[in-house]
Amino acid sequence: MARAYPGSSPPKTGYEPGVHGQTWPATATAQASVLASDWVLFTIVGLAVVVLVWGLILFAVTRWRRRDGGGDEFPPQFRTNNPLEIAWTVAPLILVCALFAYTYRAEADVENLAPHPDVTIHVQGYMWGWRFGYAGGTTLEGSALAPPEMVIPLGETTRIELTSSDVNHAFWVPDFLFKRDAIPGRATAFDLRPSKLGTFAGRCAEFCGLNHALMSFSVRVVPPEDYARWRGRNAR
Amino acid sequence: MTGLRLFISSAVFAVAIATAYWSIAHEIVGTFLLAFMAFALTFVAGYMIVAEREADLAGDLTDARVADAAGELVGTYSTRSPLPLWTALAITCVGLGLVVSPAVAALGVIAVLVLGAFFIVQSR
Amino acid sequence: MSAAERGALEPVQRNDLLGWLTTTDHKRIGILYLTTSLGYFLVAGALAIVIRTQLARPDNTVVGAHAFAQLFTLHGTAMIFLFVAPFALGLANFLIPLQIGAPDMAFPRLNATSYWLFLFGGLVIFAGAASSEGAAATGWTAYAPLSVLKEGTGLGQDLWIVGVFLVSVATILTSINFVTTVFIYRAPGMTMWRIPVFTWEMVATSLLIFMAFPALAADLLLLFVDRNLGGHAFDPNAGGSALLWQHLFWFFGHPEVYVMILPYFGVISEIIPVFSRKPIFGYSGLVLSAFAIAGLSMGVWAHHMFTTGAVNNPFFSFVSFLIAVPTGVKFFNWIATMWRGSISFATPMLFSIGFLLNFLLGGVTGVMVASPPIDFQAQDSYFVVAHMHYVLGGGSLFAIFAALFFWWPKMFGVKLGEGLGKLCFWLLFVGFNVTFFPMHFMGLDGMPRRVFTYANLGQLPLLNLIATAGSYVMLAGVIAFAANVIVSTRKREPVGPDPWGANSLEWWTSSPPPEHNFHSLPPIRSERPVFDAKHPDVAARTPR
Repeated sequence: MARAYPGSSPPKTGYEPGVHGQTWPATATAQASVLASDWVLFTIVGLAVVVLVWGLILFAVTRWRRRDGGGDEFPPQFRTNNPLEIAWTVAPLILVCALFAYTYRAEADVENLAPHPDVTIHVQGYMWGWRFGYAGGTTLEGSALAPPEMVIPLGETTRIELTSSDVNHAFWVPDFLFKRDAIPGRATAFDLRPSKLGTFAGRCAEFCGLNHALMSFSVRVVPPEDYARWRGRNAR
Repeated sequence: MTGLRLFISSAVFAVAIATAYWSIAHEIVGTFLLAFMAFALTFVAGYMIVAEREADLAGDLTDARVADAAGELVGTYSTRSPLPLWTALAITCVGLGLVVSPAVAALGVIAVLVLGAFFIVQSR
Repeated sequence: MSAAERGALEPVQRNDLLGWLTTTDHKRIGILYLTTSLGYFLVAGALAIVIRTQLARPDNTVVGAHAFAQLFTLHGTAMIFLFVAPFALGLANFLIPLQIGAPDMAFPRLNATSYWLFLFGGLVIFAGAASSEGAAATGWTAYAPLSVLKEGTGLGQDLWIVGVFLVSVATILTSINFVTTVFIYRAPGMTMWRIPVFTWEMVATSLLIFMAFPALAADLLLLFVDRNLGGHAFDPNAGGSALLWQHLFWFFGHPEVYVMILPYFGVISEIIPVFSRKPIFGYSGLVLSAFAIAGLSMGVWAHHMFTTGAVNNPFFSFVSFLIAVPTGVKFFNWIATMWRGSISFATPMLFSIGFLLNFLLGGVTGVMVASPPIDFQAQDSYFVVAHMHYVLGGGSLFAIFAALFFWWPKMFGVKLGEGLGKLCFWLLFVGFNVTFFPMHFMGLDGMPRRVFTYANLGQLPLLNLIATAGSYVMLAGVIAFAANVIVSTRKREPVGPDPWGANSLEWWTSSPPPEHNFHSLPPIRSERPVFDAKHPDVAARTPR
């Protein structure tokens, strides 16, 4: 029988009660807090648009429904209303420009790379597992049957340098609200600054063949002094 | 005229977005595709400018009456032809042959040529 | 051409099998397209039911990993290449000549050739399932380099390439046929600014097809060469690029999304005025917005690649946001068409309102995922699965049912039953939302798409179980439709030319229309000539 996390207890994820406070969406890094603000903004604006437009539609179909024996009279046969049409073209245009401005800044914040990261890990995805190579240190490796666990310090900047050795994969930790594709022949980098202690589930997000669903890993965020001890134990 | 304007404005848009994309992204694949799209649209628009000179369509006149077209020969329409089915089968053979066996592909190519000749003969 | 083959000299079509195999009549080709694409829909839908059954519980063992990969690959490929897009081509085949008052398409034999290529292309794709290594199993997006690997993707993947290539060639040919027909074969007085909105949307769609599909064809050729002839286009170890596939694929793939939605915007624009007893509001706004959407959609392909870190995210994000503007214009125009109308709720109208309600959600989540910070979480997760199904399932599929109920009497001379029709609507509407709404939360919770199993974590098992239950309700809705077809065909209650009191020229001629479509035509002075002819007093009071 196929098991998602064979042989080990599954790591907790963001929506497990008790892992996080009542934030939405759940966040576990400084970058994720920025990303979450974008989620919140778009969700509020989106819900407002949905309520407005659904309201207009449901109002129209209730208010002007044809009653039994509605007669042969036709309702007013208007076709255009220029001021109105200009208004409902310009208003959404302004709205999306504003949303774009926010989005642009949020993305720049998140993708900004620190000049001197505290920890650098070379991550390589392969069919179907992960290699976590700590710069100047150990390399952890694990595949579907024994997924590897990345250990990173709380509150410090970890640089992930990501690539793949065969096909496309994607490095995704849902509690970090972030994923990045691992592409063969390309290296790409991003920073993580964990803001919560705990063990977070990670998985491959880009379909990569048979055992894609089992290509998981986990990220354990520990206090910096524990991290230093762990690094010492795992020195090359 | 509306049709021609459509292609000209699409071509202008394609040039604009290709230029914008190159200047912002400096990425070659997308720029090439957009430029190629601009070229294709310009080609169609150019052809239409040439062809429109000769076209005189009752469909473009706002006050045309349906009777205006009476007796006009808009073309001949066959409602039946065995050629499409066979042609599609032949083209499918070419594709399948590439995967399964070159002999099937060769057979398909021959069939496509023969059927193409039939198409040309019939259209005269 | 021999005299016997000239249609004008042979007024009665053969109604036997040979008659259908050799037909070049646009109405028959349209019906062939529609039935074939509905057949592929039933197969793809059945695959979806197996997929949902496997995912009903974590660690389920209904199917294994390899079977599951084939299931979602064939489901996506069939729904997109063999159902939603070709259904629109079939509808347009049937309707465009009728709506513009033409006797047939510009190139009838080319038209028939396109249809057969589409049918055979689909069969070739499915034929892979019979091979020893099974059907293609790399998703409908077939990302290289995975799709280049020979092990694990055998004959099935090659057949997939050939099949999709045939379908794309057929689609390009058909689009050329549509544009030529609309430009050249309009009846006297049917100026471009009087053609019905559906036909306009098909012009925009055709334009998109012949800008976008060549990129797909090129991509497929490269993949074929890489797989079978030792090419290295997608091989980074030999100077190729693993990203090239994605660029080419999405340069086709995002316009393809609009190829699958613009025709259905047209369908809705035909139906809402009829059941509101009003002319369409903002005709020119609807037409121009279609072209704005088509144009902008050529500049958004890499919003499918935000998480690669290799494209200019702000450029693609901004152009994607802009598409919300013309789409919003359409929504407001449809609402304004209903505003102060006299709205009746026949089944086509119910499906149209269902379309509006569902598609709005898909549109809003579409703007959300066009924002890279959101997409970093949503990409390749069930959030995107939910978004995409709200657009194509809640949107296009509902418009497809609206179109079936609306034009069924024109195609076959009998109406589909209203009772079973409303049952079908409610089953599909409830089933659809129960299936796909929970998927937004699955994605946020961290469930990636295309997984055959998932962790027994948090809310995932509950959400998945709800989604699976919803999919069975949708299945019941499709069964209600099939029952409706059987019952109404048995009843044989003929309808007149215009059972709905509709607007465009197809409602002038008999149901079903005669060969070469029209024995007479009304004067054409607006986009609703049939209405103008029947209600000259109302037409005289209506602004043009």
